[in-house]
Amino acid sequence: MRPRSPFALFSLLALALALAFLVLPIVAIFADVSPARLIEALGTESAREALWLSLRTTAMAMAIVIAVGTPAAYLVGRRRFRGRALVITAIELPLVVPPAVAGIGLLAALGPRGIFGGALEGTGTELVFETAGVVVALIFVSAPFYLRQAIAAFGALDGRPLEAARTLGAGPFRAFATVAVPSARPGLASGLALAWGHALGEFGATLLFAGSLPGATQTAPLAIFAEFSRPDGFVAALALSAVLIVVAAALLLSVKLLGGDGLGGTRRAR
Amino acid sequence: MSGCLELEATLPLRELTLEVSLEIASGERLALLGRSGAGKTSVLRIVAGLLSPPSGRVSLGEETWLDTAAGLDLPPERRRCGLLFQDYALFPCMKAWRNVAYALPAPAGERRWRALELLERFGIGRRRADALPADLSGGERQRVALARTLAAEPRALLLDEPLSALDPATRARARRELDVLLGALEIPVAIVTHSPEEAEQLADRTALIERGRIAVPS
Amino acid sequence: MRALAPLLPAACLAFFLFFGGCGGGGGGSTLTVLAASSLTEALGRYAGQFRGADVRTSFAGSDQLAAQIRQGAPADVFASADTEYPRRLYREGLVEKPRVFARNRLVLVAARDSGIGSLAALGEAGVKIAIGDGSVPVGEYTRAVLARLPAAERREILANVRSEEPRVSSVVAKVIDGAADAGFVYRTDAKAAGGEVRTIRLPQRLQPEVAYAVAVVRGGPQMAMARRYLAGLFGGSGAADLRRAGFLPPR
Repeated sequence: MRPRSPFALFSLLALALALAFLVLPIVAIFADVSPARLIEALGTESAREALWLSLRTTAMAMAIVIAVGTPAAYLVGRRRFRGRALVITAIELPLVVPPAVAGIGLLAALGPRGIFGGALEGTGTELVFETAGVVVALIFVSAPFYLRQAIAAFGALDGRPLEAARTLGAGPFRAFATVAVPSARPGLASGLALAWGHALGEFGATLLFAGSLPGATQTAPLAIFAEFSRPDGFVAALALSAVLIVVAAALLLSVKLLGGDGLGGTRRAR
Repeated sequence: MSGCLELEATLPLRELTLEVSLEIASGERLALLGRSGAGKTSVLRIVAGLLSPPSGRVSLGEETWLDTAAGLDLPPERRRCGLLFQDYALFPCMKAWRNVAYALPAPAGERRWRALELLERFGIGRRRADALPADLSGGERQRVALARTLAAEPRALLLDEPLSALDPATRARARRELDVLLGALEIPVAIVTHSPEEAEQLADRTALIERGRIAVPS
Repeated sequence: MRALAPLLPAACLAFFLFFGGCGGGGGGSTLTVLAASSLTEALGRYAGQFRGADVRTSFAGSDQLAAQIRQGAPADVFASADTEYPRRLYREGLVEKPRVFARNRLVLVAARDSGIGSLAALGEAGVKIAIGDGSVPVGEYTRAVLARLPAAERREILANVRSEEPRVSSVVAKVIDGAADAGFVYRTDAKAAGGEVRTIRLPQRLQPEVAYAVAVVRGGPQMAMARRYLAGLFGGSGAADLRRAGFLPPR
């Protein structure tokens, strides 16, 4: 990109500055940890347990968010109804709630003494200090990221192909699944990447709602913090952080690539 | 033979109230002529089931599709009514043949070759059939859209400005092809157009929509 | 439908893995212990040695743990880095009477290259200090220490405080990392950090009473087992582990 005007030069510099600022802390982590130490960190059982748990729980959370959130976002994105603005605000609320507060809220709603606590105990479902609780916390804090993108993606769709599908004999669900979803795929994929990335780094709500129990609820971010309380823990924490970053980046990249937007940026229907 | 298409509806629009009442016999082609904003597309949408008027009745032969007085309003997928959209509304993520196969009442294994066969009759060869709508020319898209609409074997056909999106060079040929195609159908056909010549050439009767009302067919 | 197809096997796999990992509460007794982060080394080892039940310990800030217990989280034992949180929960009827099971000392840790060798050096210009947040026990103890200093010295030190951390391990991290030149942490944390930091003892007259209290949580199904766990903290392998980590015995 050769700048052709003062403004072009300025925006190029601005971009370089932004990139440097965002990338620097991450590069610094890798600069501090030798590759040998990274591999060693992967060797410890607690690190592997934590990473595996993070992958499992976030995958499960994403599956639920997609299954429930996609049709919900379709409804909100395409229909005008009374209270729509309120619904959207409610969906976005978890975004502005501090994670620890979200954890307390989840306890107050789903904990043993919570509003639905009795009902949950009746079905024998344990959430607090259980892996299932991690999934619940992850869904709560990351679903808004997916929903926002999905609502925007569905809202931006041209309605006529959907109507055409109806006139061709497709019911509302078939039109949604076979026409709307494929057309909205790039937006849905980017929402998923955002939500998944956020879930991988989730800390506060998980700690409060599900505790930090190795193997059961100690996800990678919680394990990183736990390392600080151990001798020589700082280096181990750095190493695990680096590994988590690599895993998260790989995940984000593959979701975006599979989403069909490609890395070139311009939208192309597949 | 599907029977007669009958429509009666009252629909408040932006600047006026639409009050229509018309009848199209099987095999008959009626043109709806009028300026933009007069409500022509709304009439088609009511028949197709995409728009529900506060009061009205639509029926095809023995089947009643809409009857506000009786609280009956069949959704579009239950009316076998084909609608060709003004900009064709092809499914952007599907290849041309898949668009056509979407509504084909055939078992899964047969859909592809049946779609290809149908497209062949519309002058779309195998290679073009594998293209995405974005990669087709305007004329090709129009033909794919027509093929798709007819693949569903509709019992009534509605065409919204079928030729206006085409450039003048393609339009003349397309009009002739459309004329032949419609001649072979034995269902009620409604064609919305703003061009009196088109109405003359494609339809048996013309109804003029002016200020929300249908003037006596000429 | 094809668009959703790739998701289906992923979802099924996720489902299976998830339910595979969630065995529920039954099958062999499990004891759930909520303990302050500074007890990580000591109680982590004790949990591995405890016989009679599977001990799983969740380490976090004492304030968060207390909040969890208030919300009815199914814990059996609460080990706090102070006496105040357990006392409050006792008054609310949530735990049995708390007992002090260990004491700690507050120390000053400084980055190796910071040139700080004493408390006096903290007041100098340009020094960056990290302390615990007021709602965490280590933060309260730090403020107690500072309150015992002459007013001028206290003001100078407070002026150099750059951050208030939500847990003591974060204070340690900041000092090791160089983000802070010095910080107030427990003796046990300084010991755990080893050679990464320089440890400076505080004068006896400034030393606050850092007492760790433990209590059995009421209403759990394992209260008898929980009491056995406590007993080990006072005179069994738990006490030994505490000593090894640098904790002082209760008086």
